[in-house]
Amino acid sequence: MTGALLTVRGVNRTFGSGAGAVHALRDVSFDVEPGTMVALVGRSGSGKTTLLNVIGGLDRPDAGSVVVDGLEVTGLDEDGLSQLRRDRVSYVFQTFGLIPVLSAAENVGVPLRLARSEPAGRERRVNLLLDLVGLADHAQQRPGELSGGQQQRVAIARALAASPRLLIADEPTGQLDAETGLAVMGLLRGVVESEGVTAVVATHDPVMMALADRVIQISDGRVPAC
Amino acid sequence: MTGLHWPSIRGRARADAGPLLLVALVVAVVAVLVGATPPMLRSTSDEATRDAVRRAADDAAVRVEAEWPDDYGPTGGRLRAPRLADDVAGLSSLAANDLDPALRSALRPPVATVSSISMAVTDGSVQRRLQLEYLRTESGGPEVTWIAGRAPGPSTRDQFAEIPLNGAPWPMQIGLSEADAAVLGARPGDRIPVQDDRRNPYNVRVSGIFRPVDPADPAWRLAPWLLRPAANRDGLGSTRFGGLLSDESLPDARLAFRSDQLRRSVRFDADPDRLTWESAQALASAVATLKGLSAVSAERDTSLKWATQLDSVLRDLRSQIATASAQATVLLLTVLVGALLVVSLTADLLTRRRARSLTTARERGASLPAIATELTIESVAVAVPAAALGLALAAALAGSASVTWVLPFLLLTAAAGPAFGTLAAARATRDKRSPANRSARRWASRTTLLRRVAVDVAVVALAVGALVALRQRGIGSTDEGDVGLPAAAPTLGALAAALLLMRLLPRGTGGALRLALRSRRPMVLFAAARAAATASRLLPALTVTAAIALASFAVTLHATTDRGLSDGAWQAVGADARLTVGSEAAGSTVAIAGQVAAARGVSAVVTARVVESERFIADQTSIAARLVVVDTAAFRRLLAATPLPGLPDPAGLAATNDGTVPALVRTSDGSLRPGTQFRLPLRTNSAIPMAAIGAAPAVGNGDDVIVVDVATARAAGLESAPNTVWATGPGAAEAIRATGADGRLTTRAGVLEERRTAPLTAGLVRLQLIAAGALLALGLLGFALAAAASAPERWETLARLRTLGLRPRDAHRVAAGELLPVAVVAVVCGPLLGALLARLTVEPLALRVLTGQVAVPVTVVPWWTAELVTLVAFTAVLSAVVATESSVRRKRRLGDVLRVSS
Repeated sequence: MTGALLTVRGVNRTFGSGAGAVHALRDVSFDVEPGTMVALVGRSGSGKTTLLNVIGGLDRPDAGSVVVDGLEVTGLDEDGLSQLRRDRVSYVFQTFGLIPVLSAAENVGVPLRLARSEPAGRERRVNLLLDLVGLADHAQQRPGELSGGQQQRVAIARALAASPRLLIADEPTGQLDAETGLAVMGLLRGVVESEGVTAVVATHDPVMMALADRVIQISDGRVPAC
Repeated sequence: MTGLHWPSIRGRARADAGPLLLVALVVAVVAVLVGATPPMLRSTSDEATRDAVRRAADDAAVRVEAEWPDDYGPTGGRLRAPRLADDVAGLSSLAANDLDPALRSALRPPVATVSSISMAVTDGSVQRRLQLEYLRTESGGPEVTWIAGRAPGPSTRDQFAEIPLNGAPWPMQIGLSEADAAVLGARPGDRIPVQDDRRNPYNVRVSGIFRPVDPADPAWRLAPWLLRPAANRDGLGSTRFGGLLSDESLPDARLAFRSDQLRRSVRFDADPDRLTWESAQALASAVATLKGLSAVSAERDTSLKWATQLDSVLRDLRSQIATASAQATVLLLTVLVGALLVVSLTADLLTRRRARSLTTARERGASLPAIATELTIESVAVAVPAAALGLALAAALAGSASVTWVLPFLLLTAAAGPAFGTLAAARATRDKRSPANRSARRWASRTTLLRRVAVDVAVVALAVGALVALRQRGIGSTDEGDVGLPAAAPTLGALAAALLLMRLLPRGTGGALRLALRSRRPMVLFAAARAAATASRLLPALTVTAAIALASFAVTLHATTDRGLSDGAWQAVGADARLTVGSEAAGSTVAIAGQVAAARGVSAVVTARVVESERFIADQTSIAARLVVVDTAAFRRLLAATPLPGLPDPAGLAATNDGTVPALVRTSDGSLRPGTQFRLPLRTNSAIPMAAIGAAPAVGNGDDVIVVDVATARAAGLESAPNTVWATGPGAAEAIRATGADGRLTTRAGVLEERRTAPLTAGLVRLQLIAAGALLALGLLGFALAAAASAPERWETLARLRTLGLRPRDAHRVAAGELLPVAVVAVVCGPLLGALLARLTVEPLALRVLTGQVAVPVTVVPWWTAELVTLVAFTAVLSAVVATESSVRRKRRLGDVLRVSS
């Protein structure tokens, strides 16, 4: 596992107990190399989102370990997990998750504010990212004034704002039409390359699979040995 | 799916049991309050009627007098009437027959009395006076037992004796009580040497010593000196004794005195226990009629002359009850509207929780009427039993329950849930698309804005109209229950003002957001962003602010009433204590004042001559006012030691060269103003010219007062012997009491206590506190409901921020910051609005009728209490809401936010 940005080892996650217990993840193990884009593929209920939650510290596994950028995630307390999400891991949601009363630029600057960045540096970074996602002209518009695709691009810019090492995206094109989805996928692929970030993207979309450096299949909470 | 779907009804009720129970609780509590208040008001009115009549005592008694018929005999002398006692008893019957049956039933049995003048006992010892009395109840009593000698008998065997007009004093026999006889040292057969003020002697002999069978017989109260000597009754230090006349000796007493020295009368005491407010109203008109008849027959000397202040007592009471009823209506309306807003907020919360299921139901084909019916069934099933429970509790508390207010409240409550739910379902499936072109969108937006402005203008116009109506028409003068729009003025005012504030709230939160964007503290920005996102929700902030404003209004009314009662007591007494001595004791007033001034705990004492209802003439118009003749310099010093308004510089009250007496004036109708020339007619057909040079302070009850300086009055020939002593200081009352003076002592503390415990006042003060408490609770409940309604969105935002690195403890701060604007507006603006409403409405609400003040009570805003209680309460609820939400959030996995679809 030397050199891997993300190392998942023997992760198990079960919801409920007894006869009604649901085994969402069963002994999942894999590594992801830095700067690669991995597509996590599986049917609904296969455990994709649970796995993303465990990787990002949004959920804790019952057993196993997750190491992100050399940091053992499963051993962190709440503050440690917050720090992890602030510095090393960021998310792109299917539903964008932007703050409606803030402009696109202000939304992108949220992680930088959390990181207490200097205003000038923050502004530069926000402009750079909006330029990167092609929304420099829409910086002052609010989410409600943007299309779905534009909103998702803002969300991607926001996810990249704090220069994370790992970008986690859960069905990022799930609410977009095919054409817009394709553009967003292309953007994701582009930022992985330009920012040198590692991405784990849960998707059903074959186009995204094609764009990924690697595809990890998950089925009934199991990931075949790689 | 077009019919009713019972599983959905049951399922929704089970899932939302908490909010539904909350609605039931609010309905039940409001039903208790508004169901119990009208019957309690009725019983309080009855109690107030009884209390007023009881307190009025002598004033409430109905008295009838009749002159004696001539008793000249055939030879020009006076003829003895052996059956005079029967004539007196006949006077009772005659009077009773003249009474309206309703009035008769409210009065106790009559007591006929014959009273002589008070005569000086001339035995050379201490000052003693003797007054002869004949008492006769319906049963012939009051009964006595003769323990020595015998009952007074006739002085002559010739029952029809005729005596010369200017003959020797005619002998008469009397009985003495044991106590009187012991003090006088009289025994049966002894003659008591007495003479009147013109030194005419009378021949009075003691026939026997009696003991009352029932000393508590109310008849004895009419002449208590019959049972025991009454010390200092006239204020001159004399002791009054009573001589009891019998049926047999009464004819001799008639011959012994001139007609004007022996007074016959019949007294009917009002029986408070038989009175209710309703019966008292009938009584008032019966008494007025009776007095009217009496006036018509005034020329016939032997006709019945009725006298009573009962109608005046009842008229004052009617005004008080009408005012109290109107004020109770005002307070009930505030609580009802506060409760309706909270119920609406709960309906909104329920609708938000059910938005998805309602949309699904519509998508599956449920018709809007079916959804409305399902929601109505649920709503009725919750509200009706709760209202029934509330009414049952109200009946248990008050003896009966009124549905007058409960029914409309119940209807609106039952309709709120279905209305919100059906509207949400309709909107969810309405095929309303945003217009494609910009001008059409702008037009739609402006139409929405115009509609909103129209609603705002309508609410504000209604509130302004109600306030104007209240200020112009007042509220106490209308009939009970018929208070209409003016009674809703405070409530509408609070709603309108809160509505305008809420329209400004988004601008405020927007401004705060702009400031927060410049801040380096991310939590401030997130909180401001959340607050800005929720600021456009009208109902939560409107409910909270209006409820707190109305709570502050109620608490301000309470503080104003309390202060008004205190001020009213000061004004009624004029000092800490007041001694009013009778005209007979006028000579001892100064000596009494000297003793009082020398006592400990007395800071100021002043004597004055106070004449009630003195007649003055101004511009050919007669004005009745209280005349106060006082040493104005001393009076000024005394007033300075009290919270009462001070007196102007007394220098201006000195006599003028032209003989005009300068006076300070105060009249309710403004007929006497500074600068007015008027005069005081004297019995000598002359008049003292007077000039109003300034405003007089309110002295005693009533608003018509004229104050003149004693030196000036004396110089002008005005009677100035003082009959009143005012004293201030903690020991004033005790000092007056210690003098033993037998005048009427009135203490400020006593008046205050009497007014505070008066049923109407005490009931209304209780209602003010209950309303304030209920509205505060409703405001806090509204705040908690508003927080609950926005909790899902807040969780989602906070969860997303957590995925960006926000720490859990910072999430608490953001949540608190989001909820803060509504709390701040409520805490800051609520009490301000309440105070403003109180200031605008205290005068027309006629609080002074209950506080007993002449002037409008000073509006007292308990800023510290209102602000502190509101601040502490909102801080506590805010902390509890944030802590509870945090606890709920902890139970929910952060990862769930990834699955949320906005």
